[in-house]
Amino acid sequence: MSLRAWLDERLPLSDVIDTLRHKRVPHHRYSVWYYFGGATLFLFLIQVGTGALLLLYYRPSAAEAYESVQFIVSRVPFGWLVRSIHAWAANLMVASAFAHLFSVLFLHAYRRPRELTWISGFALLLLTLAFGFTGYLLPWNEVSFFATRVGTDIAASIPLVGEALVRFLRGGDDVTGATLTRLFGFHVAILPAIATALIALHLLLVQRHGMSVPPSVEAQASADPRAVRSIPFLPHFLLRDLFAWTAVVAVLAALATFYPWELGAKADPFAPAPAGIRPEWYFLWAFETLKHVPPTVAGLNGEFVAVAMMGAGAVGALLLPLLVASARARSVVTWIGAAALLFMGAMTVLALRAGQP
Amino acid sequence: MRVRGCGTAVVLVAFALLAGHAHAQTTFEAATAAFKDDVHGQAGLTCAGCHATGGSGTYAAPPRTAVAMRCASCHSDAAFMRKFDPQVRVDQLLQYQTSVHGRRMAAGDPRAATCTDCHDAHGVRRVRDPRSPVAPLNVVTTCGRCHGDPVRMAPFGRSAAPPGEWAASVHAAALVARGDTSAPTCVSCHGSHGATPPGVESVANVCAQCHLREAELFRASPKRDIFDAIGQAECLVCHGNHRIASPGDSWVGVEEGAVCEQCHDAASASGAAIVATRRQLDELQTAVSGAAALLTRAEHAGMLVDEGRLALQLAREHQVQSRVLVHAFDAAPFSKAASEGLAAAGQAQDAGEAAMRELRFRRQGLAVATLLILAFLLTLWAKIRRLPAPPA
Repeated sequence: MSLRAWLDERLPLSDVIDTLRHKRVPHHRYSVWYYFGGATLFLFLIQVGTGALLLLYYRPSAAEAYESVQFIVSRVPFGWLVRSIHAWAANLMVASAFAHLFSVLFLHAYRRPRELTWISGFALLLLTLAFGFTGYLLPWNEVSFFATRVGTDIAASIPLVGEALVRFLRGGDDVTGATLTRLFGFHVAILPAIATALIALHLLLVQRHGMSVPPSVEAQASADPRAVRSIPFLPHFLLRDLFAWTAVVAVLAALATFYPWELGAKADPFAPAPAGIRPEWYFLWAFETLKHVPPTVAGLNGEFVAVAMMGAGAVGALLLPLLVASARARSVVTWIGAAALLFMGAMTVLALRAGQP
Repeated sequence: MRVRGCGTAVVLVAFALLAGHAHAQTTFEAATAAFKDDVHGQAGLTCAGCHATGGSGTYAAPPRTAVAMRCASCHSDAAFMRKFDPQVRVDQLLQYQTSVHGRRMAAGDPRAATCTDCHDAHGVRRVRDPRSPVAPLNVVTTCGRCHGDPVRMAPFGRSAAPPGEWAASVHAAALVARGDTSAPTCVSCHGSHGATPPGVESVANVCAQCHLREAELFRASPKRDIFDAIGQAECLVCHGNHRIASPGDSWVGVEEGAVCEQCHDAASASGAAIVATRRQLDELQTAVSGAAALLTRAEHAGMLVDEGRLALQLAREHQVQSRVLVHAFDAAPFSKAASEGLAAAGQAQDAGEAAMRELRFRRQGLAVATLLILAFLLTLWAKIRRLPAPPA
């Protein structure tokens, strides 16, 4: 008995292959944006692989974290490569997830019946940011230590629960070894478990509903059915996906070699914060926004108002498909999305310019 | 305030007994304003504590020749001063009486400096107060008011150059540029209340307050007896006094501009030893700076070179030691320190070269990987292009 037959007898292998063979993907002038979802998933898989390798040597305590990362990059064969790829892939994953989100937003791919696909995808973006935040402190270097202190401080502006939330995130009143252990737990156990479940749901929903075709292309197709072609998933779409993934590997290898992720100086909790402390680039827009908010807005704490507005924006974005039903409303959302993207970009540029000597 | 209630006087007449001219009067307002921030005023003293009451409510300034004794009436009284500060010193008058200022004043020369010239009369502050004229950052300016003034110094046959020379010294750079308030100023070498130029025989002791190791080595060296025999002030021969420059390896040598060249010539046996010492200093400096540049290059390329940095640190420590050991005028200990420094610099260089080799290996590996990836991408692209057109 062949292996294929042996497996077929026990698993629905043929059914899966048949489904993929018959699965078709729309092919039109915007279909290049479909590949960002696959690239984000591929980068997540790279993170899982490289993260597992780093776990073999990493020690999550204030006394040993920095030294263990130093050991990884200087003593472990190809440890420098693994760590650099992990750090760069994290950044590319955030960028790819944002590109995927905004492409879905602008192509109106969140409309019925893909509401849950959007919600699970947006939750995955928030999880990606949480991965970035929790992983940032793990090398226990000077920059990450003080950036985490500043980042967790922001939560304190939330009334009633702010102080408790800060203590929950830090595992105490200040950023200490307890914070490191706590964020490590989130980074390698809790967040991956939630992310895996959400990715499975997201992929299931994509498989269930197929790729969305933008309304403009659909309108064109109603007049001319040949305007929207489709290609087989196997092998046409998969080979194109593979092409994109391979290009991502090439970019990652070049970044890791020419710009190895710096380790910096070990964190000293008793030292004054060095100048120019700032979070990762994907949090810069929020960081810069908070800097420009006046101390009080309408009699309320300005920072709280800004954080509340960002929170409301995130909740609104999460529930977007449930709030927007008509084509006119979707058009308004497109403009709001463009304005949000412009605002985030401008704030990021401002923050980067402020950080230059 | 009690000071203001001291009478109807509107002026404090501060008659200075300087020959030929009088000090300007201090107005009552100026004196009382300054006294508000005065350490004595804060301790509850009043005008009458220092001033004798003159006729019709005026306060006469004490004669300059009597100022020190007036201050000492409290400041030399240990039992009295203990009430304000149990740790305070009470030997200022004794020291002052041994100083050039005090001896001139005792001889009746009112041009000599007295307490109020340095500490002020009505705005006296603690030395640790940065606003005090005798605080580390201000004391050179205070001394320089007289010692940097050629007109005032001329009658004494003294140069007015020292404050300016000090300002160009390594000590001034440490104090002013780095803010190191332990850096020496006038009072560190000359004393404050007992200010006197150190003599030839004692100048080494003055420098040894800070440069202890160098002084120990020099005292144990054959040079000490030679310098004593020819009446040269030990440290000053090579380092100068007020304009003390940052020492460099180029000081050791027999070529023009080198310090040793003042007494030694290249043809002598000592000249050969000096040349050998300089060669080792130069070799060590070249090795250290070469390794430092290599490690910096490796770090800028993203390599971690902590072990190299440690070795370089060790090399620099040996370099400092070897420079200090020059003061022993003994080739053996100097050569040992210099050799150890060279060995450590060699380790740093090796670490830097290893990092650069690793960097080349990584880049070559990336080039190979990139070629393979590109080949795979081209293959994929060709495969995608050759796929049969999907049915509509």
